[in-house]
Amino acid sequence: MRAELAELWRYRELLWTVVLRELRIRYKNSYLGFFWSILNPLITVLVMTLVFKYVMGQQVKNYSAYILAAYLPYMFFQLALMDSAQCIIAQITLLKKIYFPREILPIGSVLANFVHFLLAMLVFFVYLLVIWLLNPGDNPFRATVFLLPIFVLMQLALTLGLALIISALNTFFEDVKYIVSVGLYLLFFLAPIVYFAEQVYYAGGIDDRWRGPIYTIYLLNPVALLMTGYRKVMLDPQQVAMAGPSGTHTYEYLPLDWGLVGVAACVCLGTLIFGYWIFNRKKWEFVERP
Amino acid sequence: MIEITNLSKKFLLAHMNYSSLKGIMLWWRRPHREVVDALKNINFSVAAGECVGVIGKNGAGKSTLLSILARVYKPTSGTFSLGGRVAPLLELGAGFHPDLTGYENVFFNGVVLGLSRKEIAERMPEIVAFSEIGDYIDAPVRTYSSGMLLRLGFSVATHVDAKVLLVDEALAVGDLDFQRKCLARIAKFREDGGAILFVSHDMSAVRKTADRAVWMKSGAMHMFGETETVVSAYERA
Repeated sequence: MRAELAELWRYRELLWTVVLRELRIRYKNSYLGFFWSILNPLITVLVMTLVFKYVMGQQVKNYSAYILAAYLPYMFFQLALMDSAQCIIAQITLLKKIYFPREILPIGSVLANFVHFLLAMLVFFVYLLVIWLLNPGDNPFRATVFLLPIFVLMQLALTLGLALIISALNTFFEDVKYIVSVGLYLLFFLAPIVYFAEQVYYAGGIDDRWRGPIYTIYLLNPVALLMTGYRKVMLDPQQVAMAGPSGTHTYEYLPLDWGLVGVAACVCLGTLIFGYWIFNRKKWEFVERP
Repeated sequence: MIEITNLSKKFLLAHMNYSSLKGIMLWWRRPHREVVDALKNINFSVAAGECVGVIGKNGAGKSTLLSILARVYKPTSGTFSLGGRVAPLLELGAGFHPDLTGYENVFFNGVVLGLSRKEIAERMPEIVAFSEIGDYIDAPVRTYSSGMLLRLGFSVATHVDAKVLLVDEALAVGDLDFQRKCLARIAKFREDGGAILFVSHDMSAVRKTADRAVWMKSGAMHMFGETETVVSAYERA
């Protein structure tokens, strides 16, 4: 694996060129270009906020900020995996003509989406600033934001690892991309994006002694942990309150469990190493695909 | 320059439907697999400044040989060495993205062929001038004619300081003037010590350019020697 990494390092200029190319191609024929990357989540979150605030009775202050804090990273995860599923097949004619480290394609897809994610986060911070300027008492921002890179790097490792696995497998079985899209759809609801992790802990119908274990199992899913981690390091501890027919339910805030963050970090790194290993085992067979 | 020793390549030809899970489920009991010997024990070398023609019927393994030298396939056994950077002449702009401009595509292709971004930027004027693309260099490649694509592709491949050029039947397109220009460029490439491996079905082209020729027959080297001897034997067969 060290030889493979050295080879990848030798081709770093190509990786950079692939990333630039992906960024250029995406919005090549559209007028608003990059703004679609911003416009798309903003409109989605606006609709989500309306539905959850007024239909479902979510009463958290600055609810859209909490959705965005998890939805923007999730969008990166989703788009990167969907892009990487196709990346080898889309370039197979080039692969059949010339050598370069094949992993450059999936890694390039992930990094191009990562650039969009970082820019979207920048816009998110501007959004928080605007909220704060509009009502100064209402600063949803938190000082622990300097811990954000930990979660960003964990997610990058997880996404790269999965992208390598998915791109390698999808080259042989095109069913993989359909499985991935169903998986991503389910994962959206299994991670705290439109709701809060606390609502899982205090879910109705669960015996009190099971609350702890269920909450732990829920957060063993690295995506669920990452999404709740983003919220907890960037935004103020929220008091979740849901209005329902039997009155308003409030859920106590639960702090971030750093032990579980450690577990998730190991899972993310393990996925990356495993993904790179399996990709390297398969990469010479792409062009010989029967 | 090019040194090929005992090179063999086997392909797994699967008669089962390997491309979907359904296919696997239905066929897993009886995997029809057939091993095809695409290349059998190839041995030859090409000196610096030499051009070797590869001839033979379709399916004789000519393109497989070139692909292995371009490091697209891994050989099943045997080794080869190339004395420097190898540039496969990509057919009609393979690897060009239709929505990107000629300029952006040249950049990408140059980096794929092993130049740094800085080097390719320095050579850009030369590449554009040679390809005679002119102002079209800033237009999306989808608007190019096939001749323009070929000219640009040839121009990039011959401006990357390669030591080995792999040509797979690619020079047939382009007008006479450009073909003459290509031949001059290739002659210069050889003077500078580059080696060329050249697959063609056009015997007059092989006679004109190749110093020696390899006749491939169902994956094996059938004959190797002076161009005239090999080509006339092939024509008689």
